[in-house]
Amino acid sequence: MKRIFALTLSALLLCTPFSACVKPAEEGGSAAQSVTLTIWHDKEDAVAAALQSELDKLQPEIRVVLEKKNGLTEALKMVGNDPKAAPDLYFFAHDKLGVYAEMGILTPITEFVDADTLAQFLPMTLSAATYKGELYQLPIYFETLLFMYNRANMREDQVPATTEQLYAYMEEVTGGGHYGFLEQHSNAYYSAGWIHGFGGELINADGVPQLNTEQTIRALEYHLRFARLMTGESEYATVNTLFKEGRAAATIGGPWLIPTVREAGIDLGLAPMPIVDETGLPLAPYSGVQGLHVLKVAAENPAKHEAIKAVLHQLCNTDIGVAMAAASGCAPAFAACYELDEVKNDEMVMMMHALAQSAVPMPNIPEMDVMWNVVGNMLVDINMRKVNVREAADKAQKQAENLIAAMK
Amino acid sequence: MKGKRRTLSAWFSQAPVLLIIALIVVFPIGYTAYISLTNMNVYHWFDFQIIGLGNYLKALAVFDSGFLGALLITLLWTAVNMVLQLVIAFIMASLLNIQKLKARRVYKTVLMFPWAMPGYVSILLWKNGIFNSSFGLLNQWLEKLHLAPMRWLAGDVSAFIACLVVNLWLALPFMIMIMDGALQSVDKSYYENAILDGAGWFTRSVRLTIPAIRPIIAPAVVITLFTTFKQFDVIYLLTQQVGAKTGANIHTVLTYAYENAFVTNNYGYSSAISMIIFFFLIAFVTLSNLKRKEKKA
Amino acid sequence: MRKIWERIGLIFLNLFFIAACFIALVPILYAFSVSLNAEGSILGSDFSFIPRQLTLENYRAVIMDQPVLLWLGNTLILAVVSVFISLLISVPAAYSLSRFRFKGRKQVLRFLVLLHSFPAILSMFALYKLLSPLGLINSKLGLILIYIGTMAIFGVLNLKGYFDSVPVEIEEAAAIDGAGALQTVLRILLPLAKPALIVTALMVLIFVWNEYIYAITFLTGAQNYTLAAGLYSLQATEMRGSWPLFAAAAILVSLPILIIFFLTQKHMRSGLTAGGVKG
Repeated sequence: MKRIFALTLSALLLCTPFSACVKPAEEGGSAAQSVTLTIWHDKEDAVAAALQSELDKLQPEIRVVLEKKNGLTEALKMVGNDPKAAPDLYFFAHDKLGVYAEMGILTPITEFVDADTLAQFLPMTLSAATYKGELYQLPIYFETLLFMYNRANMREDQVPATTEQLYAYMEEVTGGGHYGFLEQHSNAYYSAGWIHGFGGELINADGVPQLNTEQTIRALEYHLRFARLMTGESEYATVNTLFKEGRAAATIGGPWLIPTVREAGIDLGLAPMPIVDETGLPLAPYSGVQGLHVLKVAAENPAKHEAIKAVLHQLCNTDIGVAMAAASGCAPAFAACYELDEVKNDEMVMMMHALAQSAVPMPNIPEMDVMWNVVGNMLVDINMRKVNVREAADKAQKQAENLIAAMK
Repeated sequence: MKGKRRTLSAWFSQAPVLLIIALIVVFPIGYTAYISLTNMNVYHWFDFQIIGLGNYLKALAVFDSGFLGALLITLLWTAVNMVLQLVIAFIMASLLNIQKLKARRVYKTVLMFPWAMPGYVSILLWKNGIFNSSFGLLNQWLEKLHLAPMRWLAGDVSAFIACLVVNLWLALPFMIMIMDGALQSVDKSYYENAILDGAGWFTRSVRLTIPAIRPIIAPAVVITLFTTFKQFDVIYLLTQQVGAKTGANIHTVLTYAYENAFVTNNYGYSSAISMIIFFFLIAFVTLSNLKRKEKKA
Repeated sequence: MRKIWERIGLIFLNLFFIAACFIALVPILYAFSVSLNAEGSILGSDFSFIPRQLTLENYRAVIMDQPVLLWLGNTLILAVVSVFISLLISVPAAYSLSRFRFKGRKQVLRFLVLLHSFPAILSMFALYKLLSPLGLINSKLGLILIYIGTMAIFGVLNLKGYFDSVPVEIEEAAAIDGAGALQTVLRILLPLAKPALIVTALMVLIFVWNEYIYAITFLTGAQNYTLAAGLYSLQATEMRGSWPLFAAAAILVSLPILIIFFLTQKHMRSGLTAGGVKG
């Protein structure tokens, strides 16, 4: 009897999961003539809206759908060559394009946009997006870190021109829960600026880590003096809150910090990066270039080729640059934007534009992927665990080399 | 004849569940095993080929002294967590079953709150709200007591304890519910009001209640054991997140494998490491099973 | 005398649980306070559980500016279907594993336990390879399959553990009384194993409710999100997002679970009464 019950029940059950709840099919192609292109992005709403309204000008022939995709980088690895699931383009920073180019899911932009048009973009943004001689991104805007100070704490004449001046100021002011200068000292993205200021780098263009070169070690040793005058914890929430509360007189932070700092009532000043006394070079943080990438599956689809071309060309003008600068506070990649008043009058954008000369675009080679964590561990060893700088650098160099060897 | 029919129908009633487990759980294991034999990496992402056991040879390099340290920490982590979880949950569940405790439904519900929130949210709250050395509640309380602030997540021991506290906080609601459900299913005379009687409670728990609920809670305990062993989020998000490392150097097997293999985007290689950890756990389970059998015999 | 001791005992017991509840709630109270705060940070010196500038703006913003109802609807569909099917397929399996002695039974049990030791950190890719040819990417059915499959082992083993504790004699007595097998299971076994069914159902429910990794990877477009995926997209990071908004969203997302939990409490009683049956 029990068996019969079990049999019937399971027979019923075998059928249920497959009849339950199927999502209705995606909307069919109703407008026969128009081409629909999908762009994945992970940007804030204002940036997406600016991009959308610019691309809506292509209607009705071309309909562009912007889809916000969390976990975009991982999802692309999975669906990148699947015509059913992959987007046609994606909007993201340039630093992952080497990975995708090696995977073979990207098509160079030069297939759609000619050299003369591309020459109108800032050279830094183009070189950031070039991997193995091919340009894989149409740059829209870029961001980099800025030196910010609180005018209530730091007078105009106290703003340091050199790192030694900065150190002297920190020694003078730091104490009792107040700090002369704070940054995320053990975060690879932030400390790269110091390493570049000494002529060092995290990894060279050939994908060889440069963590125990003389320049890098010198930078790490020098930077340690500063880190000792900062908080033990170095993640963004602590650093940014102390700056917003007026307990840190200066910081190095990204443009995303500025709206909330102003909201908190801080009288914010922006200054050029201090110059390292020893080398005469300014601190040179990484920059990230945001732009559009074309997926190979879309480029190879003859029905979409022309539409992609139109979309990319629609973004080769000052309109989108100005709109993006307003939406994101970042610097447009299209050079002619800097001749317009809207942009010229924006202190922050102009400061970033000035920094574009010295800022170092994040490496876009696949090897960079393993460096963030290795360098993070090295900085923790040096700044928090009091490990000898050379030892920590040697260890990190070896680990980075091992990981890169393990990539292949 | 009868035996055969019985076997057949037993299998048939399990068919749907086994089928779906085969798809969602077994297939990924098989696929990982297959990938571990290939050269699937950034440079051969879609055009990978079988290369044999090369990834396993390479993986041996990861199983170095750092891995051994991580393994020891993982075992300690699992043991301490399991003991504390079982003891605390049993006591709490027993107390919650005292009929005279009028507000117990409210208590039970409130105690479930940690489980109702996605884990990553709670971990971020603990990290920023409680343990932060400049702003966290713990240090604000210390300050009110005129004590020096601590950097909770910086030292290895204090960070381990902090992770332990957070993990207990996250896992106890489930364990309490399992114990509570189990207590509801066994004969009430085992424990009813026994606690208020005092002295007899402990003996009665050990002699009667625990043996009675043991088979009921066993599956949940075994599953929690594996989950604790494989715990990644708590330790990673509290102490090892890239860009927000706190200075503590504690690693479990999985965070170690993550930093030393998974970040390479080398799928074949990472798969090999996953398989080795899997085999290791299977061996561990089988050995402990054999030992238990020997004891019985 | 005895009564007085009992009273004192109960008072201490209540104090103990109030303390335990406080510990359980501290981080959540923290989030609650942040969510009511007009200032936009998670951190701040001189924190108090009652914010100085009280506002409900963050809750308004979550409910009005985000498609929360859509997300709630998606989540409810996923949760209800997953819980229902999970129980539907786990009960017969657990029943036969508990009641029948058949060839392969022990192997199945051991196999199910062992599967749990696989570090599933890399499973995503395999599941994509499985679901994509079936057209189940970006579909609720695909996610439901994943959720059911992930929770199935726990469901079966957990239910089997409880079924084992119900004496076979009860069923046999019912059978002698002329009840059919289906009736015996539905009328006798399942009511007796009610706590187990509730525990299993809650477990699946909370898993589906809070799962975001598969949801954000396999679903595209904000209109398809579950609550957990939507919450994840509101997460405050260094570059963007607001902590108070995120905290408000996190609390709103967990509330339904608590309500369900509170409501199921009174059903967490087995049909077995004290001294009724010998185990």
